[in-house]
Amino acid sequence: MKKDGITIKNVHLSFGSTEVLKGINLEIQPGEFFAFLGPSGSGKSTLLRAIAGFGPIPTGEIFIGERNIVGLDPWLRNVGMVFQSYALWPHMTVRDNIGFGLRERKFATSNIQQKTNEVLELVNLSHLADRMPNQLSGGQQQRIALARTLVVEPDVLLLDEPLSNLDASLRVQMRRELLLLQRKLGLTTIFVTHDQEEANTTCDRMAVLENGIIQQVGSPQELYDNPTNLFVAKFLGTANILTGSIETNGRNTRFVTTTGETLNLPTAAQSGTQLVLRPQNIEIQKTSGKGTLKARVIHREFLGSQIRYLVNAAGTELVVDHSHTPDGVWFENGTNIHLRPNTSGATVL
Amino acid sequence: MKNVFLTSLAAFALGSGGVLADGKINVITSFPDSMTSPIEAAFEAANPQYDLEILNKKTSAGVKYIQEISSDNTADIFWASAPDAFEVLKSDDLLARVKVNSTGIPDKIGSYPLNDPAGYYYGFAGAGYGIMWNERYLKNNGLEPAKEWGDLADAKYHGHVGMSAPSRSGTTHLTVETLLQGEGWDAGWAKWKRIAGNFSTVTERSFGVPDGVNTGNFGLGVVIDFFGFSSKASGFPVDFHYPTITALVPANIGVVNNAPNSDGAIAFIEYLLTAEGQAVLLDPAIMRLPINPKTYANAPEGFPNPFKDSSIGATVKFDVEKSGARYNLVNSMFDVMITYRLDDLRDTVAALHKAEAIHAGSGNDDAKAKIAEAWALVEANPITEAESLDADFAAIFTKKRKKATDTVGERQAEVEARWDAMVVENYAKAKALAEEAAAM
Amino acid sequence: MSSFHIGKPTQNLASQNEFWLFRKLTGLQSVALLIALVLIGLLVVPVGKVIFVAFQDPSTGAATLQNFADFFATPLFRESFWNSFYVSAMSVVFATIIALPLAYITTRFHFSGSILIQSLGFIPLIMPPFVGAVAMQLIFGRNGTVNLLLREKFGFSVPFMEGLNGVILVQSIHYFPFILINLSASLRNIDRSMEEAAQNLGSHGIRLFRRIVFPLAMPGYIAGAALVFIKVFDDLGAPLLLNVNNMLAPQAFLRISSIGISDPMGYVISCILVLFSILSLWASFLVMRGKDYSTIQKGGGGIGKRTLKTGEKVLAYSVVALILLVVLSPHIGLLLLSFGTIWSFAPLPDAYTLQNYITMWEGSKTFILNTILYAGIAASLDVIIGTAIAYIVIRTGIFGRQWLDYLATGALAVPGVVLGIGYLRTFHGVDVPFTGESLASWWVIIALALMIRRLPYALRACTAALQQVSITLEECAESIGATKRRTIQKIVVPLMTGGILAGFVTSFATAAVELSATIMLVASNSDAPLAYGIYLFMQTPSGRGAGAALGIVAVVVVAIGTVASQLIIERDKKINSSNDIV
Repeated sequence: MKKDGITIKNVHLSFGSTEVLKGINLEIQPGEFFAFLGPSGSGKSTLLRAIAGFGPIPTGEIFIGERNIVGLDPWLRNVGMVFQSYALWPHMTVRDNIGFGLRERKFATSNIQQKTNEVLELVNLSHLADRMPNQLSGGQQQRIALARTLVVEPDVLLLDEPLSNLDASLRVQMRRELLLLQRKLGLTTIFVTHDQEEANTTCDRMAVLENGIIQQVGSPQELYDNPTNLFVAKFLGTANILTGSIETNGRNTRFVTTTGETLNLPTAAQSGTQLVLRPQNIEIQKTSGKGTLKARVIHREFLGSQIRYLVNAAGTELVVDHSHTPDGVWFENGTNIHLRPNTSGATVL
Repeated sequence: MKNVFLTSLAAFALGSGGVLADGKINVITSFPDSMTSPIEAAFEAANPQYDLEILNKKTSAGVKYIQEISSDNTADIFWASAPDAFEVLKSDDLLARVKVNSTGIPDKIGSYPLNDPAGYYYGFAGAGYGIMWNERYLKNNGLEPAKEWGDLADAKYHGHVGMSAPSRSGTTHLTVETLLQGEGWDAGWAKWKRIAGNFSTVTERSFGVPDGVNTGNFGLGVVIDFFGFSSKASGFPVDFHYPTITALVPANIGVVNNAPNSDGAIAFIEYLLTAEGQAVLLDPAIMRLPINPKTYANAPEGFPNPFKDSSIGATVKFDVEKSGARYNLVNSMFDVMITYRLDDLRDTVAALHKAEAIHAGSGNDDAKAKIAEAWALVEANPITEAESLDADFAAIFTKKRKKATDTVGERQAEVEARWDAMVVENYAKAKALAEEAAAM
Repeated sequence: MSSFHIGKPTQNLASQNEFWLFRKLTGLQSVALLIALVLIGLLVVPVGKVIFVAFQDPSTGAATLQNFADFFATPLFRESFWNSFYVSAMSVVFATIIALPLAYITTRFHFSGSILIQSLGFIPLIMPPFVGAVAMQLIFGRNGTVNLLLREKFGFSVPFMEGLNGVILVQSIHYFPFILINLSASLRNIDRSMEEAAQNLGSHGIRLFRRIVFPLAMPGYIAGAALVFIKVFDDLGAPLLLNVNNMLAPQAFLRISSIGISDPMGYVISCILVLFSILSLWASFLVMRGKDYSTIQKGGGGIGKRTLKTGEKVLAYSVVALILLVVLSPHIGLLLLSFGTIWSFAPLPDAYTLQNYITMWEGSKTFILNTILYAGIAASLDVIIGTAIAYIVIRTGIFGRQWLDYLATGALAVPGVVLGIGYLRTFHGVDVPFTGESLASWWVIIALALMIRRLPYALRACTAALQQVSITLEECAESIGATKRRTIQKIVVPLMTGGILAGFVTSFATAAVELSATIMLVASNSDAPLAYGIYLFMQTPSGRGAGAALGIVAVVVVAIGTVASQLIIERDKKINSSNDIV
């Protein structure tokens, strides 16, 4: 299959008088599995649909490979889209659904037969070729929708929240299959989701959107470990935010909380007033020491592999995850404990 | 709402079994509300102890109704135009023989006796039959009014004539029967078919004809006289004329046998025959010929007076028994030959008119012979007059088996199917001949 | 059975029912039984009788197919059968021609005239077809307004109203809203992504409409078309007033009223009418089954909307205006006739007057009072029975409850003329106690016939209303200690008020102008309601203006009823949606 990259340049899009995309710039590499992640209303679906050609025409440019497709009718773009509701046509068989795009492109009947069979093999559903969509399960419908799109060999593949209508266990299985398929075909794919776990486990890189603006672009690990703003920090995993200031005397850098406690920071120059700490990077100690914070347990949740403590510390509430072992220690509510955050990879914003 | 409900409730309580001598009089009539209302109002004003309950049914439906309720009769009066309907009821023993007092009423109207000699029913008004037309329509189409029945068969009136069917309308039945009796069975049917070939439509009820003429849907109509008079009195641009061959026949009223309120019924009949009752007939919505000659003193200008002008209705002496004997049969014949095959008949006659026009002065005898042959086919009758009067044959059309053991030779449906086949074939053949003649 | 309580009688239901020979029935079960009896007596038995007589030899009473053989052997009846079929089918075609562009314009484009189109869906339904027929004759008849002008200016005329054409025209104009409403709803229900998926795969324009949009809208269209077909097939009033007798319904009417209730042909025709109605309903049900696209389509949103270019706008408005004019023609014609003096062979009446309204008012008080009485009784019984059936079907597990629903809805398949014939035949031998009058000619029978005819619609309204009332509200009441009866009385019915009221109003308004069953059952002029009154007025030369005036009254009644019912439903929706607990 083709490998086209997608370049989005300065795209603004408004519904009536409300601006929904406020200047999007993005480069997606050929063959990349790219995710748009964000809460509802962030504009991620709007952006995806703009690439497909649905909705109001944006200003700016969208390149697929070398072509600027802004303003082009959807049926002329050759971008494949799988809709959240799969949109299988209920009055046609699976085979006819899949063959639709090929018929529009005036392929010969024998050719259509052959290609349909091939793509059904690809998604392992050859035995369902003559069923009607309402006879398929959710997972099967999704794969047929995918097959329908892949059979016309689009330049890029757009997936609009493809897993949100499946139940939990199926979701996990399907996202692995999607990834495998994408790797096999090497097709540039955009995957829209609001679920960070889905994005984290599948994509090469993702863009986090909020309020029509791209907050950060990078690999899942980059965004998790080095968020560049508070929104991204909070959106990807639980984030503890300590407010305070940075003091440096050239050799050592320290973070001083508003309660006057001090934490050591890596010597790399950082500036900012918010220290981002992940729950699993905070140890619990019985005694205080250098670089610890005083804390009091408010609440406790048993998560299986972890015990999650909600504690009062440094003038705010922090979430601390403590590994659970069968003979491990449990802290009651109201207990005073000491926290030692691991600041070696912590981000200051 | 409550009032009506309570009144109804009271009416039920009162109407139980006809115990009261005064009170409700149940009238089965084919006359429309526009006629019965003024008469009802006048009668109840003069006789407040009575209350007329009008049940409106077409003549044949009314006869059927009285036959059906005869075992537990609730009707007092049968009141309709057609004397032959009364003959049917009389022969079924469904009318009561009563004595009615009146003054100033002659024995005949035209040449027709007003009352049943045996005293089973009485005449209260007269009616004749004729031709009605719409002046604007005729003017627009460059036509003159038709004066005689035969005129209606002229080519120039093709598609401009309307009429009801004898099966749908007692008065139309009388009109058809009058012509059959006046001209003879075969000649009469022949004339009807020629006229019918000019029909625009056969209406469902007799009122459909004056209605069509009034609105200008078609130009001429075969109607009973009062339709013409009342339409004109209502302001429509129409006029009416009696042809020479017409019968003046009384409209009748009779008391039903075993009537719950026989005294009230007689009172009503007597009222109709008083000067006051007769005068109501001149109401513009009614316009029927009174049978009390003195009433005509107050008649409007131009209103015919059969007691002065003896030409009206003189030519045909209507034989009501003959009519009664073949009542249903004539209905069937008209429907099968004309009503149901109107399109075929119309097309055939149109073709014949065309052929005649082409060969009007041509001297082409072959063509003329073909045309004559075609007309003969159109006019051919499936049965003779003798057959029409044969009681057994006519019984096929009565649809009533008195006893389950009565044998029926053929069923009506079978006979009608036979006639229909004959007629369809004849019309088709005639049309083919006409087209051939036209091409010559 | 419950035992005798000596000394300390208990107050429970069981002891009160000691005299019952059957096992004791709960209140609801008794109600269900009562309703079943009513439906059987007023619907199943008369229709059954009609079917029975059709298969009976009139002289011997033995079972036979001879009557049917006679029917099909008679050319007139074969012709009537074919004509009814033809007229119904062509009416569907013309109704589609009118409705399809309108449906497409409203759903595909941002069209500011959409209000206009919505009103187009409402205007024809308020004019009962038999009333409209007279007016259409005046406007489109042989020598009506349009043809006179056409002949004058252009020298030709169009046979709009000749024979069957007239019936087709009147019926199409009256019934196209059914297709318009169903088709529009169907188009609006299409999941937007269905269309987008097709566009995404390369389809657009007519191809897209043909392959995707129209097939998905098809169920809605079929529903509307089947309804139109049945209603036209069964209608008596329009052909009767247009003087077209070679169709099935008028033939049935004529046979029974002219020849008598003993004529087998009337019953054969009735059988065929009922059979065909059922067949059509069943056929449309089959077509729709398996095509319940709503379960597959998760979203809605309808097909994508575009804005109109100027040229397209002009075209759209022209089409809508033309259709509006045609649709309004019976109303205009009726209005002119009601205010006109003489209208004869002219494009317009000669002069105008208020006299007709005065005449009408003086002559119609009985008709109007009767109508209020009959329609009032019919509508009241409809909503009572409708609510009861809805509750029994949806909320209880009473055995055979679905059959109550089927029976009540089955009245849809019975044409008015057949119901009338059935009642005449079944009840003419039965006497009403205390009056010595035959049940078939008692005025109450008219109200009952109207009630049965309108029951399916009332039932639907009540069912919809009940479905909006969450069952948890009832359960809550009962857990606090209220009995079933009090719960229904104090909780359920008040919450259904909007739907019930709307059902009452619609029932009333449409019962007020029903003609088919009425014309068979009216025994005397003093029992006649509005519709029959109009029919009577139209039978005299001087009465046409007054008849038209009464027709306007009928139109106004139905219009007010329909609008009121819509407003009640809208208001009810607002109230109920804010009460949504579940």
